[in-house]
Amino acid sequence: MSTYRTISSRNVTRRQFIKSATAAAGGAAAMLAVPASVRSAFAQGDEVIRVGFVGPRSGPLGVFGEGDAFLVEQFNAHMADGVQVGDKRYGIQLVLADTQSDPVRASQVAKDLINGEAIDLMLASSTPETVNPVADACEAAGVPCLSTTAPWESFYFGRGAKPGEPSPFKWTYHFCFGVGNFATLYADQWSKVETNKTVGVLLPNDADGNAIRGLLLPELEKAGFTIVDPGPYENGTADFSTQINLFRDEGCEIFNTFPFPPDFPVFWRQAAQKGLAQQIKICQLAKAGLFPAELEAMGSLGYGLHAGAYWHKLFPFSSPSTGMSSRVIAEGYEVSVGKQWNQQVGANASLLDAAVAALASSGNPKDKAALAQALSVLKAETAVGLVDFTAGPVPNCATTGVVGVQWVKASEGAWEYDLNIVSNADHPFVPTTADMTAYTLQG
Amino acid sequence: MLDALIQGILLGGYYAILAAGLSLMFGVVRFINLAHGDLAILGAYLVLFAVEVLGLSPWVAVAATLPIMALIGWLLQATWFARTVKGGFLLPLLTTFGLGAVLQNGMFGLFGSDTKSLGNHIGNLSWASWQLPFGISVGQLPVITFVVAVTVLGTLQLVLSFTRLGRAIRATASDPEAAELSGIDARAVHRAAAAIAVALAGLAGAFLAMRALINPYAGPAQLIFAFEAVVIGGIGSLWGTLIGGIVLGVAQSLGATVSAQGFQLAGHLVFLAVLGVRLYLAHSRNLGGWRSLLPALKPGRKPAARLQHATSEGRS
Repeated sequence: MSTYRTISSRNVTRRQFIKSATAAAGGAAAMLAVPASVRSAFAQGDEVIRVGFVGPRSGPLGVFGEGDAFLVEQFNAHMADGVQVGDKRYGIQLVLADTQSDPVRASQVAKDLINGEAIDLMLASSTPETVNPVADACEAAGVPCLSTTAPWESFYFGRGAKPGEPSPFKWTYHFCFGVGNFATLYADQWSKVETNKTVGVLLPNDADGNAIRGLLLPELEKAGFTIVDPGPYENGTADFSTQINLFRDEGCEIFNTFPFPPDFPVFWRQAAQKGLAQQIKICQLAKAGLFPAELEAMGSLGYGLHAGAYWHKLFPFSSPSTGMSSRVIAEGYEVSVGKQWNQQVGANASLLDAAVAALASSGNPKDKAALAQALSVLKAETAVGLVDFTAGPVPNCATTGVVGVQWVKASEGAWEYDLNIVSNADHPFVPTTADMTAYTLQG
Repeated sequence: MLDALIQGILLGGYYAILAAGLSLMFGVVRFINLAHGDLAILGAYLVLFAVEVLGLSPWVAVAATLPIMALIGWLLQATWFARTVKGGFLLPLLTTFGLGAVLQNGMFGLFGSDTKSLGNHIGNLSWASWQLPFGISVGQLPVITFVVAVTVLGTLQLVLSFTRLGRAIRATASDPEAAELSGIDARAVHRAAAAIAVALAGLAGAFLAMRALINPYAGPAQLIFAFEAVVIGGIGSLWGTLIGGIVLGVAQSLGATVSAQGFQLAGHLVFLAVLGVRLYLAHSRNLGGWRSLLPALKPGRKPAARLQHATSEGRS
């Protein structure tokens, strides 16, 4: 047997190695810790409200949190004088935590914020995998929590609430769209282009897919659409010929899907190979197609795809907590991050807006019960429009609107795609910016 | 049905490229590389980098990336894998698992979590198709992938059968120490095998990126398919890997015609069935007795050029 040189033969002893490795790791940890808690002018004393802000900022969902650093910077500048609550002024200190896109980690960082950082209010954003574990930790610890960007059904029913029964949640509040919004939106958006009203649906066997199958499809049938459903499939499927042949043979002219996002290009490319994409007039994406990068990866096949958006650069709303209009948020994000704006920046801005409004109306933001009470009746102007917990579908939840959008080849500017607002039935305060066109291969 | 069969066979071509490297590493170096899927994604990102930043054409970029991936494989084997393989059976699993995590997070750090695809850089090829009789259409990209799979595996098989390196690889796979006694540098052979394996992973990653979307965390899902193809086809056999990939792809697409949910399930079931049969046969051989005669009664089950056959006795 031949021998290899070991580490010690290179004049580095084990002790030295451990020493330098520890120093390097410690240094790295210190580097990471500094931006994790961003401190405002009111960093000391009782008069500072500590707000935990949990989101996925690395890992597969990291794209959802890409704008957070920019938003926090703007927030700290704009809220440097704090918030007026009654006749008293409080500073606000945001404490950021990263879930690394992992629900278990999300629960852990939420507990760390509650126990170690003594936060007064928790904020959570982006997907049920982030929102639900954080909300559960807050519910258990009796800390007020406000969250957004996960269908409210998955927040409410997904955490054990039962339809028709009183809400089991005392501390956790959530605002976002739900299945009802899609029913309103699709009935309007799909009437904008002449079709045979036959809808092929591709819904995976996961929480979202099954919720949509159970709740949205009956609504669409009531609205006069014929549904062709090949049944649930597993995420990560690499060949969709069965579904494509069914949709093609049934003559579907509308296609609707709530896929695990990486599966969509596989499906759509194969649909183009097999002649289905040439027959579809409306290709309505949900869950996929939120971010420009996904569309860029589709190349010319992406021109003309339809989707829903919970925020848009041209929303006629402003974000009071960051002091920016929707357009300024989008442009500031593009300068700060160097990528095209995406919907999530505005949604996260709206979370900060609603949080500040709740703090201001709480009477005493240091009193957790008072703050939870304020959340339960919160009415706040935000970047995504009015958030109104008094009108919600169920207690603890408020809905916000979704507009129908279409990705089109940009006629000018630095980016490949433009996002036109083509339907506003679910969000009437938002003006449409273009007429919807049928999908045609390569735009 | 015929359509599902054709699509499944074409899909099998991709699985075969993906699995060939894993199979080679296991057959020759006796090393289970859990980072194989992540290395495939790394290859895809290198191709994307060459296309988007350096402005190369996609096929040139693939050709340029393969030697780089081979170098990475060579270095990994020389500096890392060879050491861990001495630490027992568990250590390679642990270290390559860790390597996978490092690759995932390293790619996240370098390229961000945006999903990427090569499909938008190859024009219409990602969705262009040829029309066949009976209303069947086959995508051009899957056909190209399949042809490349057959070509690459065929070339490798020729290399293994007729060249000096091939003989050295087969000898080392069979018994590294005896090979060294005969003047073969087993460590160099292992490095060569690792270089080929990682280059193949990169090629598979490039095809994946053309067909689908990739992100830094897409590797482990691919590893599962690679493993299944290897086990179905027989470890260490290149043609077996192609057959394994095709069987997996056909099982998946036929499963999907039974039920849309059957796509992955059917693949997993075939994998488990083959694994069960293999374990049973190995078990019977070890027991001896009348059951050991069963495989011997079917001479067709022992193709002569199989590496696996040789490796099963070669462990010192």
